[in-house]
Amino acid sequence: MNEEKVTCKEVMSHICESLSEEINSPKCVAIKEHLENCNGCRSYFDSVETTIDLYKKCTDELPDDVHAKLMNFLGLADIK
Amino acid sequence: MNEELLIASAKNGDRKALSDLVKKYEQTVYSFAFKVCRDREKAENMMQETFYSMIKSLHQFDGNSKLSTWLYRIVVNHCLMEARKSNRYTFVEQETDESLFDEKYIADWSTLPIKNLEANELRKVLDGAIDKLQPEYRVVFTLRDVQEYSTEETASMLGLSIPAVKSRLHRARSFLRNEITKAFQK
Repeated sequence: MNEEKVTCKEVMSHICESLSEEINSPKCVAIKEHLENCNGCRSYFDSVETTIDLYKKCTDELPDDVHAKLMNFLGLADIK
Repeated sequence: MNEELLIASAKNGDRKALSDLVKKYEQTVYSFAFKVCRDREKAENMMQETFYSMIKSLHQFDGNSKLSTWLYRIVVNHCLMEARKSNRYTFVEQETDESLFDEKYIADWSTLPIKNLEANELRKVLDGAIDKLQPEYRVVFTLRDVQEYSTEETASMLGLSIPAVKSRLHRARSFLRNEITKAFQK
């Protein structure tokens, strides 16, 4: 997670930009009020972040035989 | 040798430079292809096609973007073409935002046993979720959240509008977290 501190206004601006809404629009003001008091939405944000972290950790290593086949396919198997 | 020199040498027919470029990016391309195709043999084929295309078209590479970005464009095209041949995915666009963002999925994950799970069990849960996601969504999720390309770069690579990238990313993230939640609630 990026540790850089952001202001509430920046967060709101980002959310509202995604919604194509002006920051002072009634919808954005209502979202701000909701976020301030909603544990569910905070929990949702945390779980999406965890989903991304989990997926990032899944690495698919290139097997040696697949590397060998690739170099052979490209006619580069003789190059060391 | 730095990458610029490697590319210049490879363009001039230096096979060692070409081989070095392939070795530099084969893991990246394979890993991406596997994440999108979800099948070892297909990922292998997509990687071969990608580097074959790279070798064939390297003389057209003008250096205005990174070589890695150029390779992603190629592998994305190959993977999506392959995916369109087999239409077996269960996550369809008809799934409404109402069902994706249903409040029943707003579970507090701090109570789920994610941290206690063995790596291979967790991998199974993730694989099960990702398998259900359409490749068009996997591609956006992987480029944005795993490879950390910007929305603009992703849109440019995929030939999509910025709102379309945002929408697909939002839906992919929500779908995956809902699937993981369901797997733990069983």
